[in-house]
Amino acid sequence: MMVKAMTSHYRRHPLQLLALAFMIVVATMLWTGVSVLTGQARDSLDVSEEAVAAREAVVRSDGQPVSVVDFVALRTAGICAAPWLETTRGDPKVRVIGIDPLAMACFDAPPAGDGVGELAGDPFVDMSEVAGQPGQLSLLISPGTGALPNGYQRKEFRLGPATGQLADSFLLNLDALSLLVLFITGLLVRSVYHLGLAQRRSSFALLERFGVGKRQVYRLLTAELIILTLVCVLPGVWLGQALANRLGQGFGLALDSLFDLSLYGSADTPVPWQAAVVMMALVLGVCLLDRLIPQRRVSRDKPAGPGIFPAWVWGIMAVIGLVMVMQAPSLIWVFIGVALVFAGVGVLVPDFLARCADVMARRRIQSANAPLGRWRYLELAVMFRNLALPVVALQFAMATVLAVQALVTSFESTFEQWLGQRLSAELYVEVPDGVDARTGALTLAQMDGLDAWHRVQHGKATLRGDSGDATGTDLMAISPVTSLVTGWTLLASTDAPWAALSSGGIMVNEQLARRQHVELGQSLRVEIGGQSLDRIVVGIYADYGRPAAEVLVDGEALPEAFTPGFQSFSINPGQRSVDDIAQRLTADWQIANLTIRDNASIQALASQVFQQTFLLTRAISVLTLVLASLSLLVMGWVFFSTRSWYFQLLGVWGVPPDAVRSQLRQLALLLTTGITLVALPLGIWLTWVLVSRINPLAFGWSLPMAVYPGFWIELGVVMAVIGLVIAWLIGRQLAGQESLRPGANLIDGGER
Amino acid sequence: MNPVRILLGLLVLGLPVIVGLSACAEPPESQGFAGLAASVDSNYDHEFLQPAPGDGLTFPDDWGPHPQHRIEWWYLTANLETADGQPLGLQWTQFRQAIKPRPAADPAPPPENWSLESAWMAHAAVSFNGQHQFAERLARGDIGHAGAQAKPLQVWLDDWRLSGSAAEGVWRLKVDSDDWGYDLELSNTGERVAHGNNGFSAKSFDGQGSMYFSLTNLHIRGTVTLNGETIRVQGKGWFDREWSSQLLKTGQQGWDWFALHLDGGYKLMAFRLREDERDYLSGSWIAPDGAVTTFGPDQIELRGGDWRDSENGQVPGGFELQIPEAGVDIRISAPPGQYWNAGLYPYWESPVTVEGSHQGLGYMELTGYRN
Repeated sequence: MMVKAMTSHYRRHPLQLLALAFMIVVATMLWTGVSVLTGQARDSLDVSEEAVAAREAVVRSDGQPVSVVDFVALRTAGICAAPWLETTRGDPKVRVIGIDPLAMACFDAPPAGDGVGELAGDPFVDMSEVAGQPGQLSLLISPGTGALPNGYQRKEFRLGPATGQLADSFLLNLDALSLLVLFITGLLVRSVYHLGLAQRRSSFALLERFGVGKRQVYRLLTAELIILTLVCVLPGVWLGQALANRLGQGFGLALDSLFDLSLYGSADTPVPWQAAVVMMALVLGVCLLDRLIPQRRVSRDKPAGPGIFPAWVWGIMAVIGLVMVMQAPSLIWVFIGVALVFAGVGVLVPDFLARCADVMARRRIQSANAPLGRWRYLELAVMFRNLALPVVALQFAMATVLAVQALVTSFESTFEQWLGQRLSAELYVEVPDGVDARTGALTLAQMDGLDAWHRVQHGKATLRGDSGDATGTDLMAISPVTSLVTGWTLLASTDAPWAALSSGGIMVNEQLARRQHVELGQSLRVEIGGQSLDRIVVGIYADYGRPAAEVLVDGEALPEAFTPGFQSFSINPGQRSVDDIAQRLTADWQIANLTIRDNASIQALASQVFQQTFLLTRAISVLTLVLASLSLLVMGWVFFSTRSWYFQLLGVWGVPPDAVRSQLRQLALLLTTGITLVALPLGIWLTWVLVSRINPLAFGWSLPMAVYPGFWIELGVVMAVIGLVIAWLIGRQLAGQESLRPGANLIDGGER
Repeated sequence: MNPVRILLGLLVLGLPVIVGLSACAEPPESQGFAGLAASVDSNYDHEFLQPAPGDGLTFPDDWGPHPQHRIEWWYLTANLETADGQPLGLQWTQFRQAIKPRPAADPAPPPENWSLESAWMAHAAVSFNGQHQFAERLARGDIGHAGAQAKPLQVWLDDWRLSGSAAEGVWRLKVDSDDWGYDLELSNTGERVAHGNNGFSAKSFDGQGSMYFSLTNLHIRGTVTLNGETIRVQGKGWFDREWSSQLLKTGQQGWDWFALHLDGGYKLMAFRLREDERDYLSGSWIAPDGAVTTFGPDQIELRGGDWRDSENGQVPGGFELQIPEAGVDIRISAPPGQYWNAGLYPYWESPVTVEGSHQGLGYMELTGYRN
């Protein structure tokens, strides 16, 4: 009987129950999905780092590259060394690392025995599969290795730039985003649940009259919540795993592209029960918190206000947060700053909105339809105060959605533009191994009717600091400098940067500029092909999508001893045909076939990779929006229902039904518009935090700040539609009720 | 004759790594040779040479590798004594596992290809005062850091090397592990012993087998370094050469193998392949003058006993062996202690003492007892 009585509310309002359940399921799915992916990525990062952790490389004292002969010489001298060949293969090019698992078995933590699978699968392949491919062979040793044979010396071994930290930051970013979603979810679930409780107070009062104690009601409510949470969390976890599997491939590709981090096999991914426990704790915590903290019971349904601190304290907290975000040296401080800003804003905004509504109500006294207008704004003020928690939750959710959308869209447009500049030539010719690229360049220079073209050489260089410390960097050399590159948008440059480059200047990518604090006009000492050169920095260029530092020089100025690792030509064929160009180059190079690719396909491929990069953030963004919209709908509906007695009074006062409905529409629109308006500045600020603070700290490069008012309007329309739906539902509800008598508890504590 | 199971281990655990770099494969429950063969790329099955009774032995070539056979090993066990008469057991084994067969006349691929046509594994162990030291090394073939050649004999992997001349009969074996090692001189004082039918040693009732010969009269002297202390040792050694392409068959679970130096100058090699239905036993009784008598399954009785608990399960610490036709009725016992070679695939390798109709020393290898 008790159970029947307790469940009567949800039997009468099944959609409310469904909505609450749906929110918990979606939130669990999001949290689980992100937890699985970031957990998997962290494990992969650990494995990847462990594979080369604390390794050194052996180099020849005569400066010649090491070969299999050196490997054998070291091994037969009793040195535990293992080969490591980084190269690319396949179409599209995929980075792979050739290793000899048998040779690695001599390390203290060998990839043998039980851990034999640790270096299995992408990007690790057997040496035999990549032997002969262009790439740098390294011979790894443990730092504790004894004296090396004559003719060899040790040096630090690095896979490239310290991408581990960048990848960690990226994952931290994702964690933070999902934590924010979790926080918002908590607020939303709590709001919906407590509004539901408010509706049920008259039922509880009735039960009390029949002798059911408050404690028993609480126990039953707790049991009800536990069952509901369990029933929703379990499918949520399952869906989260499915989401992770669905996004895993794209996520792996994104990590690989951005951080050179490969995601390892996920076949045996354990069920993320921790995520389920977190969600259980969250839902039960936010819904039952008041009962756990006795002193909170008193103020449970009181209008929200600054609470334990006066408003100015929350204001100062928000200001400190703002300053902290601007000055933060690391991501974690950015997140703490953001948390302070959110806390301050969250407490102050509902009161601010309510005061605004009060001011508007006072102004209405002078207007023609004063009473209804005044009633509307006063009712709005009551709603903002009583709905403080859901209002803030919705504000945060919308701000997050706005910010993520701005980040993703500005990234896409910036990247498209950047890629368009980088691939401005129509054709792309990869110089095959073993041929002399210079003869190709000579041929192209002599071809009449050919439009702009240039030769690109990629290799390695070393930067020498003032104290003599050496830093490896990628090198790109372009020659001749033509209109294909002079149109690049540089992040910073001196006057006539390309002419300055041709006259012995150097450009650096943003990653290098940020890491080494390189500025325009600064002199850099660069070692290229064994020759030390002092070059003035004449430009800083954007180099999105990869963490490596790079310098750009004019190919004409490269020392003779420089050996490029990879070469290509970018060509605008002009009046010449592709076949013609291919024929001339194959004849010059005396090769049978030459692959000429059109840059449009490369651009499409690159865009595809970056589309994948933000698939996850898009998914989080869209699902958060779904959550927020749904909760707004449910809460609006529920809360409007709790006020329906007051709405009916309008009819009693002689307001025609159509006018009542109109007032409800206006009220609902004011509510949703108010929330949208306060979400906008927070969203814009959050966008700035993402592109200008979090992105450089997480990715190593920044994005231009852009806002998208079109999306604001879209979001505003969605909110307005939800407002109208709420008004329509309440209108229907009012029309269907001959007379609605307020229960004692329905208006208990409410403002009139 | 010996650690077939070790190669099984290499195949089961090692090959997936080196061939496919796939995730680690657990050893199958049934660890027979069928399992061994199953883990190898069966595309090459028909290209591997299968040993047959008429093959015979060819010297000095058979000291070197047989690239057209799938598996082979060079294997030494030694029962040594320190200067003060304490027994010290010692083992060294080097295995070759072909991944792709290659006719012996064909040149090896160039080292810079890092090709993976064969994998090599070396094991070294020292048993002294109840302590058992073991080390394992792995390498790919054809690039130079592991290999073997017949003349002059060289078998090496990293800086572990057996070198010398088979013709001259004096070899040097040097092994350095992290904190122990040995440096030995091996002198052959006897004739080569061809087991089975002129070197073809059957391993099942179906006639499958391997090519197998031994040097059973090695005099060994040199130094063993243990715990930073170098001690002089000398004693007897037994050297095996064996190669095949397929040995164990389905249903064969494991292996007990013995190489014994008995009083009066007699030597005995005996093994048992434990099968589901009927064990396969075989042995060679070697007289002081080098005359070899081969015994088959019906002529040898072998019973395990003295079961002892070990980290990998229960193993027999002793055996009773009877060959009535040779007047052999002996008890073979391992000294107290654990003698697991804990490599990619653990197996038991211990020195033994012999009592009964004959007294003596020797070595025992047990596989397939692991839980």
